[in-house]
Amino acid sequence: MNNASIFDEDELDRAIDQIIASPDAAPAANAPEMAELLDIAADLRALPRADFKMQLGMELQWKASGRLVSTCSRPALAASKWSGLEFIPTFFGSGKTYPVRRANFAASLALHAAMVAFLFLGFLTVKNMPHAVEPRFVLVDAYNMPPGPSSPDGGGGARAKTPASKGPLPRTADKQLTPPVITPPNPDPKLAVEDTIVAPDLNLPKPAQEGDPLSKVLSLSGGPGANGIGSNDGGGVGNGNNNSHGVGIGNRGFGTAYPPGNGVTAPRVIYSPEPEFSEEARKIKLQGVVVLGIVVGADGHPRNLRIERSLGMGLDEKALEAVRTWRFVPGTKDGHPVSVLMNIEVHFNLY
Amino acid sequence: MNAVANLANLSDERLLIEAAQHDPSRFAELYESNFNRVYAFVVRRVSNREEAEDVTAEVFHQALLNLGRFQWRGVPFAAWLLRIAANALADRWQRAAKHGEVQSPDALEQEPGADAQVERRAMLFQLVDRLPADQRLVILRRFVSQKSVREISQELGRSEGAVKQLQFRALATLRGQVRSDHE
Repeated sequence: MNNASIFDEDELDRAIDQIIASPDAAPAANAPEMAELLDIAADLRALPRADFKMQLGMELQWKASGRLVSTCSRPALAASKWSGLEFIPTFFGSGKTYPVRRANFAASLALHAAMVAFLFLGFLTVKNMPHAVEPRFVLVDAYNMPPGPSSPDGGGGARAKTPASKGPLPRTADKQLTPPVITPPNPDPKLAVEDTIVAPDLNLPKPAQEGDPLSKVLSLSGGPGANGIGSNDGGGVGNGNNNSHGVGIGNRGFGTAYPPGNGVTAPRVIYSPEPEFSEEARKIKLQGVVVLGIVVGADGHPRNLRIERSLGMGLDEKALEAVRTWRFVPGTKDGHPVSVLMNIEVHFNLY
Repeated sequence: MNAVANLANLSDERLLIEAAQHDPSRFAELYESNFNRVYAFVVRRVSNREEAEDVTAEVFHQALLNLGRFQWRGVPFAAWLLRIAANALADRWQRAAKHGEVQSPDALEQEPGADAQVERRAMLFQLVDRLPADQRLVILRRFVSQKSVREISQELGRSEGAVKQLQFRALATLRGQVRSDHE
């Protein structure tokens, strides 16, 4: 190194100081060689950081391999570049300091979505199930309904010496104004009122001569009972032994309904969906038994459902609603299907 | 001879681009060969180093993202990169203009010799990387970190004279290489 170059180094360094301090200033150079060096020095002011090129290269390498990297070291760039992708920053790799595998994130997202869907479907399934496990219902077989003074079923009679004569049933009506008779006491009444039995109104024509369809007596007779056609005091048609529910057609019956026994077989249930628990009863954990009285028709359908023992809190209605959909193999008498009276116990238990 | 070399370079670059389009990891080679040109283009048009780095990074990220749509038309890959850079700068200026932060870049674009200066700086930045390690370190500390010779000497544990000498040698080396490249 000669003296001239040493001198040049000092002068050059001072000129470089001026360039760095004030970029717009153009320091004077005494020699062309010096001027060339200062031109280079001026360009070097824009030299990139050594680690920037390497860092950007690594970012691109990660990105090229399908992995996104953080750009948070350059906040302005990150904001502009990924501004549209801030919805799921982890997925799009913005705002984090570690690389993200998009496939892994997608798989995790799909797995979580599947779990949520599974739970939701499970909830719907349980909600729509007929409570097969909880609460639990127990069906008790039908049993003979004992006769009682409060039971309204029963036949009637006209205090005749012979049994009621055979004939079609009177018309049915929801409310009975006058009981059926074989021979009207006044054939020409001033205010005629049609005799009916209490049953769902089927809008059938009034028969010319009424009677007991099960009777074998052909000669006209109202039967030994009173207030109707038959052997007891009920206001209907039939051969019951009291005024409440004699065998036959009572003023609350429809068709001929028998209690099981004495040659009448009990219906057998073949379709019995379980009732639901009412929300009110579930909330207070109400349990118990609802007893329903029904008539199982010759067609196996339940009719004339009534509540014999109530639980309340909506459970009675739930029991009626369910038993109404039940189907039976009808009971028989002398080998023929007949309507049979039954009581059904519906147990509501919480386990 | 130069024309033949340029054609060979273009052919190589085309193969490189096609390879990167099929395998993005090959983009690294395109990045290495074009980084300094893009950075020099950008840094001449922005006010500071940080902004130049942001725009340069944006250019290469967009290039990698859109590499599959690049169609070779016999133009150097750098031209495509510089167009991306120009668009990125235009976007920035538009955004900044709304806030009244910058002046129009038209004056810079119309300045004679702008492209030559970009090429010169790109070559210069590349030559810095080839300097001996101690000379390169002094250049980086002096011009990037903007430290004084005294600070550098204390950091490196060398005399101020030695640092000045390294600085002078580095600049002389760069000048010599720039000269030889222009000749």
